[in-house]
Amino acid sequence: MPSSIRDKVHRHLDICRQIQPALHQETHAPSPDMIDNAHFRAYTRSPHDIGGEPDIPITWEEKEEEVWEHNTFVTCEVLAWRGVWNAEERRRRQNVEVGETMYLGLPYYGRWLLTAAKILVDKQFITLTELQEKMDEVRKRYE
Amino acid sequence: MSDDKHDLHSPAPMVDEVSEFEVLELAVRELAIEKGLFTKEDHNRWTEYMHTLGPAPAARLVAKAWLDPEFKKLAVNDGVKASLDVGIDWINSMPTNFGTPSDYCNLRVLEDTPKLKHVVVCTLCSCYPRPILGQSPEWYRTPNYRRRIVRWPRQVLAEFGLQLPEDIEVRVEDSNQKSRFIVLPVRPEGTEGWSEDQLAEIVTRDCLIGVAVPKPSVTANRKRPVRRAVNPYHH
Repeated sequence: MPSSIRDKVHRHLDICRQIQPALHQETHAPSPDMIDNAHFRAYTRSPHDIGGEPDIPITWEEKEEEVWEHNTFVTCEVLAWRGVWNAEERRRRQNVEVGETMYLGLPYYGRWLLTAAKILVDKQFITLTELQEKMDEVRKRYE
Repeated sequence: MSDDKHDLHSPAPMVDEVSEFEVLELAVRELAIEKGLFTKEDHNRWTEYMHTLGPAPAARLVAKAWLDPEFKKLAVNDGVKASLDVGIDWINSMPTNFGTPSDYCNLRVLEDTPKLKHVVVCTLCSCYPRPILGQSPEWYRTPNYRRRIVRWPRQVLAEFGLQLPEDIEVRVEDSNQKSRFIVLPVRPEGTEGWSEDQLAEIVTRDCLIGVAVPKPSVTANRKRPVRRAVNPYHH
């Protein structure tokens, strides 16, 4: 990467870091003159675009899979197999539209699962009420 | 939310209530079946397909390439065609017969040399060559790996136990929705005269991602802590 582009990328990453939960600065719908182009790009970056962001070393772990995680993966693939959604749509919903808080706060397959539920509602295969009633019914099985 | 102080070797905590993830998963799956979006059999067939996946075919591809220069050429030029020789059909694979909906059909095989080391990441999500390598490890999916490997690759590789001399170039390949990658590492010394089976055994998943290199005495990934599941899925 040429150094001029590298500098731009680093500057972008710096700004992105500064605007995250920005309790230390005013973030109450500022007037347009307060947002320069660099900040515009930082605010409109999608939450999954994290390559190159600074972070500290962590312990690398393997992980056992939960039953619901396996089933979520399979459900999402089978929904695609049967034409309910395609890969582009899944990625946009799972990675971008969940927002930063959920993106970083939920388990990997947690996002997949919420997105699978949302697609069924958004495309009107089920209503939100049906989903809530089904969830209540499932909870009762475990009581 | 994970607790950093949680002892990684301790068993998963006993939980006496069903999690909201489990409730939602069952609800979504059952509603999709009730509405006729897919059948229970579709779901079962996909699970059976998942059980057939793992790193073995990719390891076999590398072993073949080490033994046969012509096959190596094919692997580097056309990974999808070379995959057929290890039993993986990216284009017509089961159970859909049109490949998997999220892996597409563009496998690239990245050839290491004594002066060049490849390592694979997907910075935007966690794209991974599932049909030939199985499910990705948890660390590969972490924001931490995806953030740092593209900017501090030598340091991250060292954390995985791979210390590279300064004169070896490191090339980080960023996967995307359409392209998937495996690494074809350099055949290690001390494997002269080995059979394909013997060679395939030392090509671990981590070698194929690029965070390790094959060694004649090593047939498993480096030992790491395992985070236990509350309700583990048994593969």
